[in-house]
Amino acid sequence: MMDLNKIYEKVSRVSDQAAVKKVTSRTTQVRFSNNAIDITNTWNEELVTVFLAQGKKTFSFDLRDERALEDTLNRAVSALKGIEENNDFVSLNDRKNSYRTKGNRDEKLRLLNPQEFVNSFIDQVKPFFKRVGGVFYSRSISEEVATPFNSGSQGQFGIEFVARAFNDKDYPVQTSFMSSSDEDFPLLEKQGEEIIDLSRNVRNIREGEEGKFNVIFTPLCFASIVSYTIPMASAFQVDSGMSMFAGRLGDRIGSSIFTMYDDPLEDSMINAKLFDDEGTPAQRTPVIEKGVVKNYLHNFSTASKFKTETTGNAGIIAPTPWQISVEPGNESIEDMVSSTKKGVMIVNTWYTRFQDYREGVFSTIPRDGIFYIENGEIKETWRSIRISDSLLNIFRNTEGITKETKKVKWWDETLPTKSPYVQVADVNISRSR
Amino acid sequence: MEEFVDRAIEYASKMGSYVETSYLSSERNTILMKNGSVSATGYSKDSGLAFRVVNSSISFASSNISDWGVIRGEIDYAVRRSKIPGRNTLSEEKSYRDSWEVAERRRIKDVPLEEKLSILKDIESLLVKEGIQMRILAINDNIEEGLIESSGGMSIRHRLPKVSFFAMLGFMEGGNFEQGTIELGYSGGYEAIDFWDLNNRVQQEAKALKKAAAAKKIPPGTYDLVAGPEISGIVAHESAGHPSEADRILGREMAQAGESFIKKEDRGMRVGSDIVNLVDDPTIEHSFGFYKYDRDGVPARKRYLYKKGLVNEFLHNRESAGRMGEKSNGASRSSEWDKEPLVRMSTTYIEPGEYTLEEMMEDVKNGIYMRSFTEWNIDDIRFNEKYVGREAYLIRNGEIFEQIKRPVIETTTVKFYSSIDAVGKDLQFSAGTCGKGDPMQGVDVWMGGPHIRLRDVYVR
Repeated sequence: MMDLNKIYEKVSRVSDQAAVKKVTSRTTQVRFSNNAIDITNTWNEELVTVFLAQGKKTFSFDLRDERALEDTLNRAVSALKGIEENNDFVSLNDRKNSYRTKGNRDEKLRLLNPQEFVNSFIDQVKPFFKRVGGVFYSRSISEEVATPFNSGSQGQFGIEFVARAFNDKDYPVQTSFMSSSDEDFPLLEKQGEEIIDLSRNVRNIREGEEGKFNVIFTPLCFASIVSYTIPMASAFQVDSGMSMFAGRLGDRIGSSIFTMYDDPLEDSMINAKLFDDEGTPAQRTPVIEKGVVKNYLHNFSTASKFKTETTGNAGIIAPTPWQISVEPGNESIEDMVSSTKKGVMIVNTWYTRFQDYREGVFSTIPRDGIFYIENGEIKETWRSIRISDSLLNIFRNTEGITKETKKVKWWDETLPTKSPYVQVADVNISRSR
Repeated sequence: MEEFVDRAIEYASKMGSYVETSYLSSERNTILMKNGSVSATGYSKDSGLAFRVVNSSISFASSNISDWGVIRGEIDYAVRRSKIPGRNTLSEEKSYRDSWEVAERRRIKDVPLEEKLSILKDIESLLVKEGIQMRILAINDNIEEGLIESSGGMSIRHRLPKVSFFAMLGFMEGGNFEQGTIELGYSGGYEAIDFWDLNNRVQQEAKALKKAAAAKKIPPGTYDLVAGPEISGIVAHESAGHPSEADRILGREMAQAGESFIKKEDRGMRVGSDIVNLVDDPTIEHSFGFYKYDRDGVPARKRYLYKKGLVNEFLHNRESAGRMGEKSNGASRSSEWDKEPLVRMSTTYIEPGEYTLEEMMEDVKNGIYMRSFTEWNIDDIRFNEKYVGREAYLIRNGEIFEQIKRPVIETTTVKFYSSIDAVGKDLQFSAGTCGKGDPMQGVDVWMGGPHIRLRDVYVR
């Protein structure tokens, strides 16, 4: 096992400032497809990340084996002589900080047997579908950070579960669950019911239509949209110019009912944090508040450059979002659907790509439940459509938000996110010709 | 940790019908510049052991903790998990004992940090001179070394050095913005810089970006399309390579990257015109996805995915081949030491034909020449796809008329390949990182092809 204090002691001797982070993790994953388990993966890992600054010259390295420290450190010292100053680096956070304690309980989640849970889920949903697949993760992470000014440790245990099930017409629907809290345990047990209920909406399957539509994004789908949005609020990205947030701080870019936070204080989510990579306390940061760009995400150095305060999002090289909360509204999903004259509810989306980061012009491919609504009722189920629009349009045209939220995380498409259902007018739908 | 490989195999062999132990180490250097400033300089040596155990099901475990007690514990845990019923078929393959490496003419270890930095600074100066305002540049090298052994007697050692370059550029003029990326990769040493003709390539991209910002959209309609090698490459990768991956066809990625419009019984199905041949080949020298043996120890070879417009061969690892009752064709890869082996592409391309670019163009009355793409995506069965042109021109009466702004093609795989009526004799590759698996595994690939001509494509 690598010793953070010993490593810190050695690296701090050869630098003006050093930040050392050690992450120890144990993860079990069960992957299943077509009603059977394909593989069980386990990872038992340690990783130490070292950041060194000599004046304004900086160098980073990773360590998997403490025995490699001397060699790696010699390389780092030599590199620090040869490289140019990093004009983006000012200092690590030099204030002495103290940290909160986490409030979640996770004993029940920890006791879950992944393979048993998956097999019992398959048994539950099998009678309703032709086939089901998915993934279950249980992950325990502990993290220690040491800098010249601060040190601390934090840990988190979390469960992620995703299932995608195909009906007898081979039309898929998907459910997603993520939590670090025993309070959500009943919701995990209801994932089977949820995906069965969702499949009951599948009727009259056909190719979808082009045009402008009123779209209801489910929590999973909207989580994907905001997961592609919030990284652009990193001050690194803004500073590069490749961001729709660049030059828009304080501007109204969305509807006044839309608020989105980077929310590491939500301890029931799997990426909750006490502090960031340079020992700054984590905080809840509104990125878009009532439609207005309120904050970029900062570490100490980017905050100095932008003449503001750090938001506790180090990444020492580039600030990073931790997890997302979208502020709930007052509506119910039932009312939202029943008041829709002509629209589409979209369960999930993937393959989001941008042709213009400055204006947020993108397209993404809806999947796992595209339900066409007419006069308040689901009439058809669509496939083969694409959302081709801009994030600015989507946030500007947001017209309804439910009070009901769900915590989701799916693959690499969504960050851990708590999102309501969100209704957006005039979303541009395109398709192949 | 390599010292534990033999011991782990010896210990685990008694407890599984098939056991495999691998040690993999990746030694990486990175320099990142943002708008002229050196934002990050870094080094990492990422290494560890992984074990695959097959009994009633397949179990994969990994650890980088150099302690026999911990390693033995992980093997024991993997063995216990592998006794719970699930899928457990691997194809029967010959066990090889061999070692291989890719040669470097300019060894990565001989290139000082200062020289790598000066490569980026030259590019930076060039881009500043061209007036490109937004510039993120990175140069990376990686020396991968590995040893894999199995209870069946396989033992393969390898050394695979790689160099890669990445640029993201943004240009703004009069409120018009254009963005572009350049991705280059090479297996070998720093001779890569000459191989890529790096400075000229970046300069050409910068000039095209500036012209694109001033270009105008064309009216939507039906046009003939001449697509450059970058377009051939992305189409080959997305709509021939991915749908031919047997694990997708079997549904193993159903909850993540999805499945395939090709079904198990679809070999021989027509997907394109009879001049269309699609290849995946890991054996092309210095290609970014090069290997001699795959992650399962199966020798690499060239594969025809589509032949004369028909579905021909699937990409297999031992797991997918075993489930289909076939032999693997050596498509097993994992991105890092701690990731399970999956069915992956290497270098995927449209096989060249007989036309010159001039011959293709002269027969186009009203068309579009799309040299490169920006936004693109494809659905999870690899059938409905979209490509937005980055550098694109209007063709009138066989001549390039003017540069146009972001032409959009939304089509299907079968429609695209069926519309091809001419295939060029040139062949160029670009590099990419192909994402698949859960957790996500990004593997290095090349993709490419010649210029191709399509008739009657709807463009907006």
